[in-house]
Amino acid sequence: MEVTRREALRSVVSKCVPVATAALVLPEARAAETTSQPKAPVGMLYDATLCIGCKACVVACAEANDLPRDVSLDGLHQAPEDLNAFTKNIIKLYKPHDQSPDSFVKQQCMHCIDPACVAACPFKALWKDDENGIVAWEPSRCIGCRYCEIACAYHVPKFEWDMINPKIVKCELCRPRLAKGYEPACTSVCPTHAVIFGPREDLLSQAKERIEQSPNKYFENRVYGEHEAGGTQVLYLSHVPFEDIGLPDVGAAPIPARLNWQKRIYKFLALPLLMYAMLASIMKKNWIDHRREMREEEERTGLRPQL
Amino acid sequence: MKHVIVRWQRGVPVYALPKITPFFVFLCGMGALSIALSAYREWAGLGPTTGMNDIYAWGIWKTFNTMVLTGLGSGGFSIGIAAWIFSRRDLHCVMRTAVLTSLVAYFSGLVALGVDVGRPWNFYQVLMPWRWNPHSPLLEVALCMPLYACVPLFLENTPPLIERWYYTWPRFRPFMMKHLVPIIRTTYPYVIALAYALPMMHQSSLGALMLLGGSRVHVLWQTPFLPLLYVWAAGFLGYAGVIGVLMVACISWKRPIDMCILGVLGRIMSWLVLSWNAFRFLDILARGQIGAAFALDRFSLLFWLETLLLIGPSVYLLWGDNRRIPSRLFQAAVLIAVGGMLYRFDPTTLAFTSRPGAVYFPSAIEVLIASGYVCLAMAAFVLIAKYLPILPAPTSAWYDMEHYARVVHPDWKMEIHDLSHHNRPNLAN
Repeated sequence: MEVTRREALRSVVSKCVPVATAALVLPEARAAETTSQPKAPVGMLYDATLCIGCKACVVACAEANDLPRDVSLDGLHQAPEDLNAFTKNIIKLYKPHDQSPDSFVKQQCMHCIDPACVAACPFKALWKDDENGIVAWEPSRCIGCRYCEIACAYHVPKFEWDMINPKIVKCELCRPRLAKGYEPACTSVCPTHAVIFGPREDLLSQAKERIEQSPNKYFENRVYGEHEAGGTQVLYLSHVPFEDIGLPDVGAAPIPARLNWQKRIYKFLALPLLMYAMLASIMKKNWIDHRREMREEEERTGLRPQL
Repeated sequence: MKHVIVRWQRGVPVYALPKITPFFVFLCGMGALSIALSAYREWAGLGPTTGMNDIYAWGIWKTFNTMVLTGLGSGGFSIGIAAWIFSRRDLHCVMRTAVLTSLVAYFSGLVALGVDVGRPWNFYQVLMPWRWNPHSPLLEVALCMPLYACVPLFLENTPPLIERWYYTWPRFRPFMMKHLVPIIRTTYPYVIALAYALPMMHQSSLGALMLLGGSRVHVLWQTPFLPLLYVWAAGFLGYAGVIGVLMVACISWKRPIDMCILGVLGRIMSWLVLSWNAFRFLDILARGQIGAAFALDRFSLLFWLETLLLIGPSVYLLWGDNRRIPSRLFQAAVLIAVGGMLYRFDPTTLAFTSRPGAVYFPSAIEVLIASGYVCLAMAAFVLIAKYLPILPAPTSAWYDMEHYARVVHPDWKMEIHDLSHHNRPNLAN
């Protein structure tokens, strides 16, 4: 059987293109799965054994971030019940019913090394600073889809539900204050240095030093945030189980790693385009058959065929 | 009981019936109400108008109108693949119903999505690729779903419209034959291929959305195969939706029903459901989470409810002649639709475990807006089915319609066929 040049070319192309695509996409796609680390990540270290629950940090945070005071509890005290549209930082008390020890806990954005909210955000409204690793929100890009609230394992981003121009409210580690050379508001006012600010490396070694100095004082003798979900820039030490003070067991893998297969499939749009090409080639053949059948149908019935 | 075997052969408009009926007015009223309430929602914000909160940040507009109803309206995609890619030529006669169902379902879902976003004025960024986060499943949905609805799905729905103009607008005919038909002829395979590639992408991305929910989605639902299970569920939901639409439309407008075609749809749907369920069980077993299915908490009960709603009717339809008996097929399709919709809804809401004490229940306004846009979709379908040759019918119904049109609209020039054709019935009698 004679093979025309066109047919030979087509058969070569049809075999080579998928192989070439796979060869091109797979290594590239795997390379994309390692996330870039910030150059000089800064963060906070919170030591629950030192916190006296004075909430000075809550007030300082609201003041520094120009947040309206949340007095919804009794109209008198600035005592928010949880992180909300007026509260980027909160002190909570964990008090078990039995005789086991209680603990205060501070909550704010964890500034994950590989944040789920940034991976979720469709238009990069939530973005992670390459330099200091702060996760911040850009109002001109946010469409208000609230996917960040679904994705964040720590329930941090909050939405201004009552506003006509709603914003996402979350701790940005006092970026404007840092730019002026100040510490974040919460660390600057803490009377017992229960929460301190600094480069993540320094904070981590300091936390490990504290564990070394007083073994068995801290839960499991480990720092929460060293490895959790790929690591966070806010680190915790606690004498009670982390789970009890609202620090969930999220595993060691970064949450965005759950999208690795999506990333592989969509890399360069190569596989979707390949699939489209495949569908189109089948369709072209079936379309010719279909039109032939439509013509036959018209001859048989005398009716205009319908598509 | 008398059995008449009917064959669906062509799309025929639902002619000679009043366009404005009490039901249609009701649908439009609900739609108008939801538009008014949407305007109020834009003015008042999401908090006062909906039951959403910071824990359940997605309400029924996203989780039901968009994620569930576009699945139910995936018939254009799932039946189309069988008809065009796998060359099931007998299914071509229901394609017009399928693509119209998809069109109205997608548009109503997209409108609900537009009402749901809090800062819609920033949505112009879809046109600025440098602002995209290409790895966000929501970006994929936000780009791909409107693109599908506005380009391939819309183009798939144009042939009935062009056909109507062909008959009712004789001056348009030369232009159509000279310019439109050649374009359609050359581009149609590429449009159709796009109409299957895009839904595969965004229907799976709808599942990928919940991957980032991590452990907040219950282990029976949270799996790396969520995207595959979602697009597969869109497959059988599309069949269930089109079976339901065809049967309701044919029965309420007293049109003949072709149980052979519907039986084929029912059989494909049943196999899709059973294979989907088998895959889901294998996935749960492989992840070692089968224990959670027998925990007898509300999640395991929900899981078994879904499973029973899907497997039961599928086995029933494959049994004997059940799928060729209208009432049985209809009931089974409805149950499968409910089961599939429940599956697509659960990871976002009912199986979305959250903080203790956090509750979400849609507000009255939320429910009215959600159902109002569904009503608008139904109104659009009803109206379009009365104007355009969408619903399938035997060829005899086409001749009846032609006869009617020649009497009522003598200007339409319906008699464009070869009048001396040997198979043509003599309409003068």
